[in-house]
Amino acid sequence: MKKILTRFGEIEYDPANLLHFPAGLVGLPTLKDFVVMPNKKEGPLFWIQSIDDPDIAFVLTDPTNFFLEYRVIPEGSEKEILKIETEEECYVLSIVTVPPDQNITLNLAAPILFSPTTNRAVQVILENSTYQTKTSLPAIDDQEKQSSSA
Amino acid sequence: MLVLTRKTGDGIVIGDDITIKIIEIKGGGIRIGIDAPKDCKIYRQEIYEKICQENREAMQWQLDDLDVLAPSTKKDK
Repeated sequence: MKKILTRFGEIEYDPANLLHFPAGLVGLPTLKDFVVMPNKKEGPLFWIQSIDDPDIAFVLTDPTNFFLEYRVIPEGSEKEILKIETEEECYVLSIVTVPPDQNITLNLAAPILFSPTTNRAVQVILENSTYQTKTSLPAIDDQEKQSSSA
Repeated sequence: MLVLTRKTGDGIVIGDDITIKIIEIKGGGIRIGIDAPKDCKIYRQEIYEKICQENREAMQWQLDDLDVLAPSTKKDK
């Protein structure tokens, strides 16, 4: 086990069990390895802590909890980065932005694809889509309607 | 910044494996064709910069924020 001092205090992690972004994140190519941190309380949010820069961490969530129709299919080059053969081997995550008023938004325009089997991940830009970088969560009424009609 | 003048059909080669071609110039817009290796990501600049900006904003948060959506901590109002 190794330790790093982050802005949230000291974190112990297993170097063999990191989430690896071979290409880094968009605009942040040096951030290649993250520790996945579960949320201690109940809820859909968790976070990843950068090993390369202890000051940097991101909140993530599974966007399909909120947007049932949301699908991201990896391209060939993305499958190569993830070292997977089929698209079924990867899952989608969204980076969460928390503004001061705590009305969080999901970045549906640039999701993270990750493979639990290879522990690799890549942030992709959905350029030819209508998804927004700041997508508010659907109102609770809408969510109930969606799930009851599904 | 290097500035070059090119005509329709002309190209520019960057390194050994990237070629940019001027396809069409019409009404203030320019259609550009790009040949590059598959692992070389190509984006419209304004979209790329918007994602970079959003990633920077997403770094600003506190541990308490993780509980914003947790059912047990929702305020009864």
